[in-house]
Amino acid sequence: MIKVNKKETVEWREGMTVQDVLDIMGYIYPQITVTVNGRLVQREDYHTHEIPDGADVNVFHLAHGG
Amino acid sequence: MATQTKAGPKKIDININGETTTVVEGTYLLQAVLDAGYTVPTLCHHKDLTPDGTCRLCICEIELKGKKKTVTSCNYPVREPVKVITNSEEIKTHRKKLAEMYLGRWPNVEVIQNIAKICGATDNEKYKSELTDENPKACILCGHCVRACNSFMLQNILGYAGRGIKRHMTMPFGEVDPYCVGCTSCAYVCPTGAIQITDDLNNPVDPELIRNHGMKVNAEMATLDDQQCRMRQVGTANIVEVMDAYDLLPVHNFKFGKHPDTHKIDSKVMKSDYFTQGAADACWLGCSMACAKAVDGFALKTGPYKGEKVVVDGPEYETAAGGSNMGFFDLDYIVEYNFYCDTYGIDTISFATTMAFVMEAFEAGIITKEHTGGKELKFGAMEEALECLHEMARGEGFGVDVGQGVRWLKEKWIKELGADSNYLQDIGMEVKGLEFSEYVSKESLAQQAGYSMAIKGPQHDEAWLIFIDMVNNQIPTFEDKAEALYYFPLFRTWFGLLGLCKIVWNDVAPGDNSKYPPQEAAKIPEHVENYWKFFEGMTGKELDEEKMLLQSERVFNLQRIMSYYLGHGTRKDDIPPLRAIGPVTEEEYLSREERYDKQMKEEIGIDPARKTVQEKLEITRDHRYKQYNKVLDAAYERRGWDNNGVPTLERIKEIGIDIPEVLAMLENGKS
Ligand code: SF4
Ligand code: SF4
Ligand code: FES
Repeated sequence: MIKVNKKETVEWREGMTVQDVLDIMGYIYPQITVTVNGRLVQREDYHTHEIPDGADVNVFHLAHGG
Repeated sequence: MATQTKAGPKKIDININGETTTVVEGTYLLQAVLDAGYTVPTLCHHKDLTPDGTCRLCICEIELKGKKKTVTSCNYPVREPVKVITNSEEIKTHRKKLAEMYLGRWPNVEVIQNIAKICGATDNEKYKSELTDENPKACILCGHCVRACNSFMLQNILGYAGRGIKRHMTMPFGEVDPYCVGCTSCAYVCPTGAIQITDDLNNPVDPELIRNHGMKVNAEMATLDDQQCRMRQVGTANIVEVMDAYDLLPVHNFKFGKHPDTHKIDSKVMKSDYFTQGAADACWLGCSMACAKAVDGFALKTGPYKGEKVVVDGPEYETAAGGSNMGFFDLDYIVEYNFYCDTYGIDTISFATTMAFVMEAFEAGIITKEHTGGKELKFGAMEEALECLHEMARGEGFGVDVGQGVRWLKEKWIKELGADSNYLQDIGMEVKGLEFSEYVSKESLAQQAGYSMAIKGPQHDEAWLIFIDMVNNQIPTFEDKAEALYYFPLFRTWFGLLGLCKIVWNDVAPGDNSKYPPQEAAKIPEHVENYWKFFEGMTGKELDEEKMLLQSERVFNLQRIMSYYLGHGTRKDDIPPLRAIGPVTEEEYLSREERYDKQMKEEIGIDPARKTVQEKLEITRDHRYKQYNKVLDAAYERRGWDNNGVPTLERIKEIGIDIPEVLAMLENGKS
């Protein structure tokens, strides 16, 4: 199980990447910053950066519009 | 809500001078080579401008699939693994020769001398000719100014004239172009000083400071906007599809947050089928954000100009989302109501939110065709809603009533039709008599308060906290929310005080904004600093967060006290209708049943099993209003207001607005 933004939970599976989590959460917003267990993941690594089970994933959306 | 996101860029291994290095797909080769620590001379390259590839100093040799060729590295994007040689004998000879030619022509220009040094060119005389220009500030035809005018200002004021050796930089016909806005971008990027600024309008104390910070924004717009918010391409409408994906797009008087037909009104359709000028458009000539959009040659279907072709300014996000709120999933009608609201001088948000309320009341049977002048005003009744708009402008029929807004309609229907007062209060989306802006705030306590506490009523111009609160879960405690409800409204009020646009604060962000911890990153510290520097450059007075907030706080509190004096400035005026904080109807509850049930179990601590929907609605309502009032308590305290939302004497003194007139307003207030 993975915790997203200290609130939502996502079922973990082998080989799961940051991009997989973004897809499951429906996070399509372009202005985001992702950390996995407190460490920043670069945008170009979303497809390859694997997430360990039990990880604490934060997807920070920078507000705009409004 | 599993939505497939766009694949991000890949990483590619390339070999530079025998060593392997990894770059992100699309990186220009020059950047990769410089990052790897090699020196490459450049002349036409500028970090903030689209590459040009004209000076040919930056050439490198590449080997791709066994084939060798020479490319200008500054405009060669890496898409596949390549082998690169940056300094073969051939390349060195070529660069030296070029440098000698440049040196022969502009022997005293410092940047040319530096290039010559890198290329080992020492002979000033070799290419000396009648073209030789001894001026140390000569124009070296690097083209930076042309590209800055184009990519920063979206203008094409500067250009080359003449051919071959007669080529030179000029404005059209060699005259001063009246369309030049005097933004000084060209002078800023000119490496030689060939373009001089002779006049600084408005007498700023420190024009250089303003310029340095303004140019940073220009550069971000030129280089980052396409990957970030696409403000130049589609303006604020870029978030229509985003809000739908996050269940935040108002649908049917804010009942729901998404709709299967949103794809018919999203920014992709606007861009492909509606926005015509194919270019960015700005509120004022000289804005590099240029987020305004236009639809040209739009044939009107209704109203006094029916059949005529017009230019429509917009639609912006709120206008499109007002469309979904009324059930308009047809951009033709959204553009049409956009046009007529503008033409009649009616706010699209107030119109859409009022109309959505009317439609819900009609569907609930509170009003019938008898009241609407025969119009079947259900959600999605686009022709009928537009007819109401025209009536409103003509001062006739049911449109006159609609024009009075949600609060007035509620009161009238309760009084004259004996309508269910609780129900109308719950679905009537207004606070302080102003209609809500077009975002669904149900799942964000901070946003509910951001809207409802706003001095002029529920609009997002004080605090837009949905992402920070609901999605990021960055401000989990009441104290955190209160802090956000202190900082953001003051910061955003401050823009208003100075007459500065908010859009360049957070509709583009510095590429490295994520280096700050999230709480700080949300403020976009570098952009806040830009604003302070604009202020300092203009007035000579230094600002910091404390000073800025104080400037704003004085005005903000004065506004609240005026509201209080006029009878709109206490706790009762900061309470949102139920629709803004949770589900009102069974249909609404059931549409998100899983979410609400889960919250009931985990947050409220009540087992939803065997409860009727009505009971669950009651429990949810009760809980959410309690939570809301706790946010108010915390926010009032943080602002230095009493429990009824009135600024305390102590606070008024602290911020120095305890003058007799203000005290008299507090004494004689109607609230
Ligand atoms: S001042 Fe601005 S608008 Fe005028 S030519 Fe220079 S870059 Fe273009
Ligand atoms: S005026 Fe300056 S920026 Fe423009 S081409 Fe000449 S040297 Fe380059
Ligand atoms: S820097 Fe001028 S061609 Fe690359």
